[in-house]
This record gives sequence, structure tokens and C-alpha cells, in this order.
Amino acid sequence: MSDTSYKGLKSEIYVPVTPPPVWAEVKKPLSEMKVAIATAAGVHHKSDTRFNLAGDFTFREIYDSMPSGELMVSHGGYDNSDVNKDINCMFPIDPLKRLAEDGVIGSVSEIHIGFMGGGGNQEKFKNETGPTIAHILKDHNVDAVVLTAG
Amino acid sequence: MVQRAIEEAGIPTVIIAALPPVVKQTGTPRAVAPLVPMGANAGAPHDIEMQYNIVKSALEQLEILDSPGQVVPLNYEYVAKV
Repeated sequence: MSDTSYKGLKSEIYVPVTPPPVWAEVKKPLSEMKVAIATAAGVHHKSDTRFNLAGDFTFREIYDSMPSGELMVSHGGYDNSDVNKDINCMFPIDPLKRLAEDGVIGSVSEIHIGFMGGGGNQEKFKNETGPTIAHILKDHNVDAVVLTAG
Repeated sequence: MVQRAIEEAGIPTVIIAALPPVVKQTGTPRAVAPLVPMGANAGAPHDIEMQYNIVKSALEQLEILDSPGQVVPLNYEYVAKV
């Protein structure tokens, strides 16, 4: 192989690089977990500030006390027609509450997170927004997070 | 990106994705992929049973998956009428 390889050779064509793996251990059964939702779909309460559709690295806190009918979407990056009919398409809070009632999960977190994915300042998402969201969820003793994005 | 940050903070996560290659490339630790269009990742509007089952199957992967980077196909299908 030494005849055909050259140390440090790079493709002239830009190719995205998959980052190194991350992995948090699961430490308790699902039936004992407090679960939160984080969605990149631009979900927030109707009374909250809308996202800037041109790109926005901020996020909104969503509380379990907010009825799903009072939530809405502002996101310019995908077809909103399904989620406008039913917020649960991207923010499945009603199914999650039923899973807690049925004992599949331990409980529903009192706090959830909505942000606008699919673009924006990726460095901010990686170094500020993401860690801040993680910190909030940690403060609320969340055991697991289900996300919708991509 | 946000999923990875939450995972780095020590909270296990699972993402419900409509675009499996995208989440795989961006380094998801755990993902499920039902057959849904982007915008209805958790299932068809007002299909209470499909949404319940997708979220349940997603969360169950927390107890099943034992290595990062896997995207598990889920056998639920919703084709939006465009």
C-alpha cells in the first residue's frame, strides 16, 4: 500500500466528516425514567417569541402544563402542514403523557425544548445552545430525551 | 448537534428521524427511522396509535441499543398527501 498512499493526502472535493461517537450510559429501566422532548422543528408556545426563519440558534422552553393545542411552529425549513394540523407530529407530548399513564416510562419532564434546526449558526448550536439545553435538562433531573429532527 | 450535546452531558437520547442518512452523518448516538416525511417524524397527524407506537418504540431502543451510531428502521408508514 505504501506505493499508492501519500500521507496527508486530501480529497479536493469537500466531504462532510462524521464526528467521533458520543454515548451516555442508560442507568435505569425505561419504566423509571423521567423523559423530556427536544425538537428541532421550531415548536413553541403561541405566546412566545417566534423563531427568525432566516436562521436562529435560540431555543424555547415548553412546559408540560401547556396544553398541546396552545403550541405552534415557526420554522422555514420544512413543510409545516402536518404539524399545523397536529403539533404531536413533531412534538409528541400527548403520546408521551399516555406512555407515563401506562407505566411504560416513569414520568414526563416538566420542561421540554423547542429550537429551529436544519441550518443557522452551527458553531453556536454546538458550543452554546446545545450545552445550555443539556444543562437545563440536567437541572430538571431528566433521565432520557427523545428528539425529533432530520 | 443538540442531541450530541445532551448525550455529552450524560443524558441518554434517541432521535426520531425522517432522514436517516442525515442523522447518521451528523453523528447521532441513537436513532429510529419510521417511514415518514420530514415534518411528521412522530407519525401522521391525529393518528394517536401510530404516534404512541413510534414514541414507544423509539424509547425502547434506550434499553436495546448498546453501541453508538445505529439508526433502527421502524415499521410504521405515513405517506403525506401533497
